[in-house]
Amino acid sequence: MVDQLPNLGREKEMLEAMGLSSMDDLFSDIPEAVRMNGELPLRGPQSEEEIIADARRILGANVALGDRVNFLGAGLNRNYVPASVFQLITRGEFLTSYTPYQPEVSQGMLQAMWEFQTLISELLCLEVANLSVYDGSTAAAEAITCAVRVHNRKATQKDTIYISELIPPARISVIENYTQGGGVIVKTLRHNSDGTLNLESLSEAAGSCGIYVEQPNPLGVLDGGLTRVKEIIGESTAFIVGVSPVSLGLIEAPGNYGADIVVGEGQALGSPITYGGPLYGIFACTKAYLRQMPGRIVGRSIDVDGKEAFCLTLSTREQHIRRHRATSNICTNETLIALMGAMHMSLLGPEGLQKLAQRNMAACQLAKKKLSEIPTIAIPHAMNCHFNEFVVELPGSASDCIAYLDTQGLIGGYDLSNWYPQRRNWLLVSFSDQTKETEIELLTAHLAVWSASVSPGVSA
Amino acid sequence: MSHLFEHKGAGGKGYSQPESIMPTDNLQIPSSLIRKDLPKWPRLSEPEMVRHYTWLSTRNFGIDTGFYPLGSCTMKHNPRVNEVIAQLPGIADLHPLQPEHQIQGTLAIFHEMQEMLGICAGMDAVTLQPVAGAQGEFTAIRCFQEYFRKRGELQRTKVIVPDSAHGTNPASASMAGFEIIEIPSQEDGRIDLNALRAVVGDDTAAMMITNPSTLGVFEPEIAEAAEIVHAAGGQMYYDGANFNAILGLTSPGIMGFDAVHYNLHKTFSQPHGGGGPGSGPIGVKSHLAEFLPGPVVKRRPVLSGDRLTSVNKEWWYHWQEPENSIGKVQQWHGNSGAVIRSWAFYRRYGRDLKTMSQHAVLNANYLRYKIMQEAEAKGVGHLFCDGAPIDVVKHEFTLSFAPMKEEMGIGAMDIAKGLLDRGYMAPTVYFPLIVPECMMFEPTETESKDVLDEFAIKFVEVLQEDPDVLHAAPITTKVRRVDEVYAARNLVLSYPFDEE
Ligand SMILES: Cc1ncc(COP(=O)(O)O)c(C=O)c1O
Repeated sequence: MVDQLPNLGREKEMLEAMGLSSMDDLFSDIPEAVRMNGELPLRGPQSEEEIIADARRILGANVALGDRVNFLGAGLNRNYVPASVFQLITRGEFLTSYTPYQPEVSQGMLQAMWEFQTLISELLCLEVANLSVYDGSTAAAEAITCAVRVHNRKATQKDTIYISELIPPARISVIENYTQGGGVIVKTLRHNSDGTLNLESLSEAAGSCGIYVEQPNPLGVLDGGLTRVKEIIGESTAFIVGVSPVSLGLIEAPGNYGADIVVGEGQALGSPITYGGPLYGIFACTKAYLRQMPGRIVGRSIDVDGKEAFCLTLSTREQHIRRHRATSNICTNETLIALMGAMHMSLLGPEGLQKLAQRNMAACQLAKKKLSEIPTIAIPHAMNCHFNEFVVELPGSASDCIAYLDTQGLIGGYDLSNWYPQRRNWLLVSFSDQTKETEIELLTAHLAVWSASVSPGVSA
Repeated sequence: MSHLFEHKGAGGKGYSQPESIMPTDNLQIPSSLIRKDLPKWPRLSEPEMVRHYTWLSTRNFGIDTGFYPLGSCTMKHNPRVNEVIAQLPGIADLHPLQPEHQIQGTLAIFHEMQEMLGICAGMDAVTLQPVAGAQGEFTAIRCFQEYFRKRGELQRTKVIVPDSAHGTNPASASMAGFEIIEIPSQEDGRIDLNALRAVVGDDTAAMMITNPSTLGVFEPEIAEAAEIVHAAGGQMYYDGANFNAILGLTSPGIMGFDAVHYNLHKTFSQPHGGGGPGSGPIGVKSHLAEFLPGPVVKRRPVLSGDRLTSVNKEWWYHWQEPENSIGKVQQWHGNSGAVIRSWAFYRRYGRDLKTMSQHAVLNANYLRYKIMQEAEAKGVGHLFCDGAPIDVVKHEFTLSFAPMKEEMGIGAMDIAKGLLDRGYMAPTVYFPLIVPECMMFEPTETESKDVLDEFAIKFVEVLQEDPDVLHAAPITTKVRRVDEVYAARNLVLSYPFDEE
């Protein structure tokens, strides 16, 4: 504590200058009845050395992903983030700044965020991007409320949105919390047994305010059918796509197949998983949605000398000006993490992104090949192309399988009965640029042993 | 001027990657999904990238650069060990879907944070899930909403906010579906109890307020306000943006609030460079605990069969879903990295968080006194007045430069730009909206007396400056006054490749 307060020991001098005699005088305005008396019932202060020792001990009791062979992803991926990103982000001028309310002394961050907008626009092939919202889930929720604001007046299905039935419950819950206040009705879109979107039933969504689907979908399936969605739902229904940004090094940008709003979890570009936060939500759209967008936007301008300069713009959408009529309540966002994303993207360049996507995809492909050789398990959506993850159907429950793999030192994947209760035997396995061939072989061997052991009549 | 998109190195790989683990010439991507044109991203080698971002950093102002008295934002020093801790693999390399036995350390820290935050605010239950103050507000309002739904009080559709409130308050309540009733403050900025009495009724869901108020003034009649709202059957919401003023001195619980958000990026120093990340946990009284977003961390005595580690010899930490949870406001468990940093910050102070708040208030009062004294001495005291006339302020204070605007045509923004020329970040300008030509100063506890003394002198120097100079300020910054109207009229929101 002592090392954080420069005026410890100078209180008297400062109080006396003001004509006060004690610290208590500074709080004389707090009525007796609402004062807290005595000390806070908390532990005593620690030195930096004690804090870091405790942190090492306590956090050291966790099992980090890197301590194990890991196949857990489910939307967050453990990509490699280059060292220079971590070094640069600790520069105090970036780290300890805040929202650039004074553009003249914030050109660095403003330009970096304008460049971030450009990187995202280019990645998604959409005209405008903001500086981030909280995460992929709130990005999806904000996209939906944005679509309702834009289309509700003309919609024949008023206040109605359709979302893919595969969206995980946690994401749906965020969407419901964000939309219930506006009276938005959330309906679901069906999928085929191969994991792709059911395009026949999609016409039900025409006339609604928008649809929300993901590419790859939550089961890792890349769905070619999405390129036909816009023609089915029509101009007055927003086509909202949630993406994995890394996949776009190989996969067509949704902006090029009719998407109106694209959102996603930015984490894989620039950030460690960090137990699920801070992350950054990507939000981009066509110009038609610009004035109903949430969040901060940087524009290029000029200074009084006509020199190029940057500043926040279109603020009249935001809470500090529009108050209860704002497009969103977001104020503090995830800029610093988005900046890490921009740095990572700058290092990758176009070819680097492509290569990163290839590495992620190759790991997934190799795993699919190896695992499909195990006779006692099935890969229900094997005929499709996958990115990062796919479903394995086991001969027993996924939770038992994960427990077994845990005893073998593997973090085996995700038990999909948590998302889809009837799918007790579905295991979601994930692979990234960090996955090694030997790890896939290890998973294959252990899954073969376990699956045989729970399959009647099969010997390992 | 250096543009990222002007780098076109031929090789263009900022870091070389290992080869794929299998050949990638047949990845079987459906033809309709094959990307035809790669994004027009720049091609930089590592040295070029490092230099670009280092150059950008030199064009940015942070707390590390200099005094940053941005009111309402609590721009205090960010202890660096917190950054080291947040990069330990035990938090950075952790997945939110890992089983409980692999994350006992994180859960132990979360539990400690839930307890500590509850104690400091006088609340019974805490969730760490909301990721910013605004999201905390929204979450608490949703809890109120479910509370009333459960009680069948569906007619409670109105949320009261004072006109001095931060914009997120009405925006959050409105997002949850409530109608906003704005009530005027008194002349001196304090809450007007008569105005409050006039609007409460059986349609009142809640009142949202911060104390100290956005004027930096403690509302002495806060308990009465709470009584009025409670008597009408409404709930009291505490906007915790100004919590830095009161730790260990009073608490929202004592004042009569039912729910509160904490801005860990303000009070507990989570760095939020450029505008985020934050963390906005909320605390609630027991009657609201069942509605909190889930899950929250609980603990029970260890049982045989628990997998013990160095942190759970006595207690087993686990996630638990509140009974009537509103569900989730962020997909995972919130901004965990920010919570860990804030834990490290808390450990530095422990119960001396009270001393921290005392020093925040000491510094604010001292700076206010110094500015007044210096202005009187230099004969410019008449150019401004108190945002709220009061003997002592809390952690921040407001001054109105309406007299100066009137007399010389110099407004708060001009003064702000004059400060930039003297190497300072400007205080918050034009907020709260109820003070004309407002500047809001929040020095925080981490500034020395010497910095405050010097700032007061420089500030008054600005007030004595030739109006023409101030209109033209800043002149020493990397760019001069930026034309925000031009930016909005000529929208260029990304690099114009076709201008090349
Ligand atoms: C008084 C007040 N209330 C609420 C907020 C919103 O908090 P956040 O920016 O973390 O969403 C802020 C800060 O920006 C604030 O100053």
